[in-house]
This record gives sequence, structure tokens and C-alpha cells, in this order.
Amino acid sequence: MADYVLEVKNVDKVYGHGETEVYALRNLSFSVKRGEFMLIVGSSGSGKSTLLNMIGLLDRPTRGKVIIDGVDTSDLNDNELSTFRNSKLGFIFQFSNLLSDLTVLENVTLPRKIQGTVHNSAEEARTLLKTVGLETQMNKFANQISGGQAQRVAITRALINKPSIVLADEPTGNLDSISAETTVQLLKSLNRKLYQTFIIVTHDRHQFGDVDKVVTIKDGRILKEEVEAKMQ
Amino acid sequence: MDYRAQIGIRFITRRKGSLIAASLAVAIAILVVQVNSVIFQGLYDAIVRDQINYRFGHVYITREEDFITKSDFVLVNWLERIPYVQAAAPRIDSSASINATIDGKIIRDYSVPVIGVDPVLDREASTMAQTVGDGQYVSYRNSVVLGAIVDRDLGGPQVGDTIKLKFKDQHGNDVLRRLTVVGITSTAGSVGLDNSIIMNIDTLREIIDRPHQTQSIIVRLNDPTKDQDVKDLFLAAFPSNADKFKAQTIEESAETTLRGFRSGIALINLVGYFGMMSSAFAVVTIQMMQVTSKTRDIGVMRAIGSKRKDVLLVFIFQGMVIGAIGAGLGTAMGVAYTAYAKETHMTFQGSLPLEVKYNWTSIIQTDIMAFVLAIVASIYPAYKATKLEPVEAMRVG
Repeated sequence: MADYVLEVKNVDKVYGHGETEVYALRNLSFSVKRGEFMLIVGSSGSGKSTLLNMIGLLDRPTRGKVIIDGVDTSDLNDNELSTFRNSKLGFIFQFSNLLSDLTVLENVTLPRKIQGTVHNSAEEARTLLKTVGLETQMNKFANQISGGQAQRVAITRALINKPSIVLADEPTGNLDSISAETTVQLLKSLNRKLYQTFIIVTHDRHQFGDVDKVVTIKDGRILKEEVEAKMQ
Repeated sequence: MDYRAQIGIRFITRRKGSLIAASLAVAIAILVVQVNSVIFQGLYDAIVRDQINYRFGHVYITREEDFITKSDFVLVNWLERIPYVQAAAPRIDSSASINATIDGKIIRDYSVPVIGVDPVLDREASTMAQTVGDGQYVSYRNSVVLGAIVDRDLGGPQVGDTIKLKFKDQHGNDVLRRLTVVGITSTAGSVGLDNSIIMNIDTLREIIDRPHQTQSIIVRLNDPTKDQDVKDLFLAAFPSNADKFKAQTIEESAETTLRGFRSGIALINLVGYFGMMSSAFAVVTIQMMQVTSKTRDIGVMRAIGSKRKDVLLVFIFQGMVIGAIGAGLGTAMGVAYTAYAKETHMTFQGSLPLEVKYNWTSIIQTDIMAFVLAIVASIYPAYKATKLEPVEAMRVG
């Protein structure tokens, strides 16, 4: 039996009622194995970010199930979802979304503080920040570093709790080409090094090169699902 | 430090404008209450002080519906044996008619209160003697001290001059008596000495034909908190129905005067507390602005695992910071104002010196109230913050 870290089963997301009803996602099903580097691609408005919100448990599907690490998340209440997000998921957003009133180090250790496992968290955060080349920026406030640096901090924050899945929504969308390339390489190297599952939403499939899986979305449906997708 | 406290403190301390505005709102509310307290409680205490000093002492002994016939010497000696009693003095009150004149012409005839005092005992039991600005206190028979207004109405007689006053004795007969002015008294406030005449108690007893009688005995204590004890001791020692003594503490004897002031103070305090409510609205507004400006941060916190109650606590901690800084600032300003009022011997309307005290109980109560109010005012904005769904919050910005 395959070691699936994520199973999306018949997921619909519907906005509005009656005549104003709009399907953002329609009957989506796919699964992701542990340690895979997967892309969700599609044009703007295709539903890829909505799908990421469902997988990230930031929003609930209208129908269907999202199963993470064997847990059916539709059965979880709001508090349980928060705890689950904290321990099982890591988030990387397009605009890094660091808390500007906290330092780099405090931002990275925040998920651990939320979890209540602060022991050694600062040390682990320092090690991770060193991995991404930010050991000299640790005590700066988040709004005192560049966009590329902020995105690397966001990556470290996503990894600090050793989540089952790291979700990234257009992680290079707000970066210049050099920073974008650095970020892509960093994500891929972390995937190999930590055997960490990454699910990346992007509209630029070519930026990521060879990956384990690509799911293409169009009009809320899966258009194509490629396994061990090689760049043509 | 708890991460919610850390984020709450950072959110507000790194928005200096919001912090200053919110803290000032709390501080000014405390200052208003403190200023009210200094002025109006100070005025109240000043009136109590003057009523004790001039009129009633700490304990005021009279006889129900009549004059005291028991020897004042016996009563004063008995009272002065109580350790809490500093001094006691007999008094008798009456009235006299005077002709008010302007430039030597009589313009009206009116009655003024006359207070008969024991020249020796009264100096110990009251501070009335210290109000004589010109001349001296009554010392010998047929001497009078005129209140400043009475002196003015009489055409301004000087110390050493004689005046003629018309009294009525206890039988209703007019008694004309020529008396020597030995001093002019001037007091601030509402105790009415400026409208009175002070004279030797034995002279007044003789004029109104009440030999050996006393209207009241004022008792000054060295420990004012023991007034009820002294009152109880006295009434226990003189229980005879024949004596029908009535003993009252200052709160009881000056009740009529003080009742009105107490209502006034309550009203003024209410105004102060309404001011505090206004400051709470200011805190609500500033906190709502904070929630709006931090929507994305709230979304991030929720996304990475913070629960709704954690978000609530962030803004409650923020309210605590505002409350603590505002209370500290308000206390500093309030204490500074109190110190200023005390050092400068602040007066009410330029006359009555206020009785300024550092009322720490009241200061702490006001601080706690302001602190709690800042937290309570943060509950609604904090609640609104918890209602933000992570996915919606993330879309902002």
C-alpha cells in the first residue's frame, strides 16, 4: 500500500447559492506520496489557489474529503484544525507574510511557540536560517530584509515544525528572477535533503524543471496529472 | 514570555502613534478623576476641617431641645480625662441686632450670630482664636471680636473702639450693652465667622440671663478616628434622662452642610467616570484600527496554527499594555497635580484653602478601574479579530 501523505477525494468547492452558484473546484481527486515534490499549475482563475486553501485547511470543501497523514480533516473542529495546521502543514505565501513586528528569528520560531514546544526551538531555527544563508539577519525585523531574504525566512518558518507537507502559493511570484531561481533551488534541495513533501502552486511550470508530479487545473477540474514529470 | 503577550506588546509598542493616543486617553481620564478629587474632595475636607476647627470640634455635645444645666467645669474635666481628648470647651450661642451703616448713615438693622466662648479653653479646643487678624482674641468680660463683614457693616470700628449691641434675653427682653472691640476675625469659606461676633461666654450668659448654662461643648480629639468611641463613652457616663445629652460626631453634627457637598462630589465623580467611559471608546476605536491594520498578520497566525482564543489574547494583552501605560502616566500626572495643589496651598475661588491629601486608595482604585476599562474596551476589537477567517484575512493587503 502506497504511503500517501495527502489524499484529495471528490472535492467540490461551491460559492454562492441557487442561480449565483459557482463551482471553483469540481470533483477533484488526487493523492500525493510522502517526500514528493508536486506542482499544481494552471492559469489565473483556474482554481489552483482555492485548491491549496482546501489542502492547507484554511478553507473547507463544500463536498468531498481532504485526508492528511490518514486523518480525515472534515471531522475536525476549528481548534483541532488549528492544531493540525500547526503540526502537519507548513505554509509559504507569495508575499512571504512574515510578521513585521517580530524579528527574523522570532518569526521562524513562532510555529514552535504556538505548538508550545519552545525547547531548543531557537537553536533549531538558527540552524535552519544558516542553511538558507540568513544567519547574519536573525535579529533584524522582518521589514528590514529584502523580499528574497523574507521568502527564505518564510521557508524556514514553514519547516521548523517538521510538517508532513509544505504548501507554497506562488513562492516566486513576487521575486526578481535571481531570487526566484535561488528560491526554487532551495525548495528542491530541501525536498531532497529532508525528504519533505512539497506542494507548490504556480502558473510558471517551467521555473521548477523536473518534479515528481504535476497536476494541471483548468476551470476547477483536473486537466492533466503527470507523474515523474520531466521538462520537455 | 508567552508568544501572545509578545506579539500583543510588539503590535502596540511598534505603533507609537496608536500607543500614545490610547494611553493618553486612559491617562487623561485618570487625571480628570484626580483633579476632581483634589478640588472637590479637597473642598469637602476643607469644610469638614473648618467645621471641626471653628464650630463643632470632633465631637459636639448638646442637650436635646434645651441648654445644658450641668456644670461645664464638671463636663469638661470629665471629658479631658479620656486619653483621646485633646481639649473641650463650652459655648453658648445667641444673636444681636446691629445697625449697618454706610458713611455714618444707618441703612438697615439686622441680626448677627453671637458665639460665647471660654477665652482659655476655647484656644485649646478650636482654632477660632487664630482667625483674628487684627487685635487679639476675647480675653476679658465685655470684649468682642467682630467678624470682618460685621465690622464693615458697623462702619469699620477699630480695635479699642466700643460698640453698642442689642440682645434679647431668654425672657424676650431687650438688653443693650456697650462692648469693647478687641479683634477682627477673617475666615475663608462657609463657616460664617465673618458674619458673627465672638465674645466672652460669661458676659453672654449674663446678658441673656442664662447663668451657669451652656449650649454646647465642643471636644477636640488627638485621634479623630476615635470620635465614635468618645461619643459612646460620654453617653454611657451620662445616661440620666434628666440630662438628655446629645453627642454627635462631626459627620453627624455637620450633616446638613455636608450632605449637599457629598451629593455634589458624587455628581462630579460621575462626570469623571463618564469621562473614563469616553476614553474607553477611544481605546475601542484605536484597537479596531489596530485589528484592521493587522488583518493579514492575524491571517498568518491563524494559518500557522493560532487558535481564535490566541488571537483574542493578543489584543487583550495589547489592551493591558495600553491600560498599564495609561494608568502609570495618569497616576504620575494626577500625583504631580496633587503635589502642586498641596505645595501651593491651592484655594477654592481664591479664598478657602483646600485640604489636599494623597488619597492612595482612591488613586489605586482609579488606576485599577482605568486598567480594567482598557482591557474591557479591547474585548470587542479582539472578538472581531477572532472572527476573521484565515483565508479571508490572507486575501487582505
